[in-house]
Amino acid sequence: MTAVVEHNKNGGIKVSKPNRGQRVLKGLLIGSAIFTVIGFFLMDYTGLDLTHAIPMTIDNLGQMFLSPSLNNTTWPSALWQVAITLSLAFLATILGAVISLFLAFGTAVNLSKPWISNTIKAFITVVRAVPTVLWVLIFAIAAGLGAVAAVIGMIFHSIAYLVKAYSEAFEEVDQGKIEALRATGSSYPHILFQVVVPQTKSFLISWTFLRFEINFGVAVAMGAAAGAGGIGYELFMASTFYYDMQEVGAITLIILVVAIILELIANRLKMAA
Amino acid sequence: MAVDSKVKEVTETRTDFNNKEAEEVLISFDEDLEITGDEVEIATKEELKEMPVIMSIENLNKEYSKGKSVLKDVNFEIKQGELLSIIGPSGAGKSTLLRSINRMIEPTSGKITFDKQNITNVKGRDLRNMRTNIGMIFQHYNLVDRLSVFENVMHGTLGYKNSLQGIFSLYTESEKEEAIDIITELGIEDHIYKRCDELSGGQKQRVGIARALVQKPKIILCDEPIASLDPSSSRVIMEHLRKICSEKGITVIVNLHQVDVAKNYSDRIIGLNSGEIVFNGHPTEINKEVIQAVYGTDFDDLIME
Repeated sequence: MTAVVEHNKNGGIKVSKPNRGQRVLKGLLIGSAIFTVIGFFLMDYTGLDLTHAIPMTIDNLGQMFLSPSLNNTTWPSALWQVAITLSLAFLATILGAVISLFLAFGTAVNLSKPWISNTIKAFITVVRAVPTVLWVLIFAIAAGLGAVAAVIGMIFHSIAYLVKAYSEAFEEVDQGKIEALRATGSSYPHILFQVVVPQTKSFLISWTFLRFEINFGVAVAMGAAAGAGGIGYELFMASTFYYDMQEVGAITLIILVVAIILELIANRLKMAA
Repeated sequence: MAVDSKVKEVTETRTDFNNKEAEEVLISFDEDLEITGDEVEIATKEELKEMPVIMSIENLNKEYSKGKSVLKDVNFEIKQGELLSIIGPSGAGKSTLLRSINRMIEPTSGKITFDKQNITNVKGRDLRNMRTNIGMIFQHYNLVDRLSVFENVMHGTLGYKNSLQGIFSLYTESEKEEAIDIITELGIEDHIYKRCDELSGGQKQRVGIARALVQKPKIILCDEPIASLDPSSSRVIMEHLRKICSEKGITVIVNLHQVDVAKNYSDRIIGLNSGEIVFNGHPTEINKEVIQAVYGTDFDDLIME
């Protein structure tokens, strides 16, 4: 047996020798497992009867999703509210996409100067660090709580997301194609719109539509949280004001169906692009 | 005796058959070829002397990092209407030299005179104007392959356009007609509305040539135009370049790896080694010593196609 082999306490041969990072990770995992167990013992369980609570929860879910019905609103009104939510999402996506396109030209390292790229990246990081709801509340100071503040807040996060996605797509564009256009005497805008955009069009479309799907979900939440209206506000009213399980279920199912339809359209668009 | 003749007959039919098959293969290969292998005519030394100078390059130096010269004090003249080949080993500075001509790469020092104008320090609009006069063709074609052949060829006119015209692809009818004429001359008119990623290498390079010609250039620079092509497409491309040079009087400057191709098609050859011009003369003057000086190896050690 050679000297390079290390043994563990029982005299067996070690297969691996963990480094510092792996030891820290191991400590973290064990620590969080212990705290989780302790946490369960420290919770306040007064008045909780699991034999009663579990069937009640199942019953509530059953009421929501197995017998959904619209009691306080009508079908045309619910669909109209869905349309409002969709238009909030659409507005935020389209405005965000146009702004993002130009910011992304500045962010992509192959199309821009390093200091411009880094400035925009820093700005984007700040935008991303603040949650959407906070942006909405910030703009609510000026615009008042409602659709306008919600759309502006959603635009901010759309930009943060799309600039990153777009600029990474732009950076994939072959430098030779840009060189070829420069050699014809083309100007910078020519290169952007005759090489970079056509070459990345399918990425741009699929990323934008993915953001639209995300914005739909955010718009539902904003309807409730920021009073932006739409189906999210109906959901909020049904759950906390009327306490109507069946209506909550019905609205949730409507949102689910719309989300699935959006997903299908997105797939079609990706195929076509 | 009888057996012998039988054997002979069989072999003969077989050779016949083989020849026929080979011919068929050749034909299917040649379907795309618009030009058949005519003997190439190149300018003689005397003719070359009489050609007017279109560009002169004086004391050109290029350093990518301090102290590491890629081009060392390069001096030469380019004649109007000649086909000039630049040969040399990889890393000799051929691409850098070519890109210095249209200022895609900024030379460290030196003077470039084009059409009696000093273009060493032109900027902005003047630089763009200068580049419209110099077309460029690349080894990897560098076409926007999600756009159609026609759209790619029209990119050649962008140098003459302002931003809005370029962004919204506002080309005039006469520009489009000229482009169609050029596309037809190059024999790719059947593919005009196809996306460029559907084309073969040789066809893509012809789109590249069309894009350069649409610029109405005085000089066309070709950076290893046939390095990624099979021998038959290579021949088509070289013959098109030769034709452009002889018939349209456009100066063509080609970076080449193949010495025999350079000898066949060019009016003049420049040999580059480690950033210095070691040969500048007529193709007939290429001999063993020249090859030794350019490549550092014997002529017989080079692969000839």
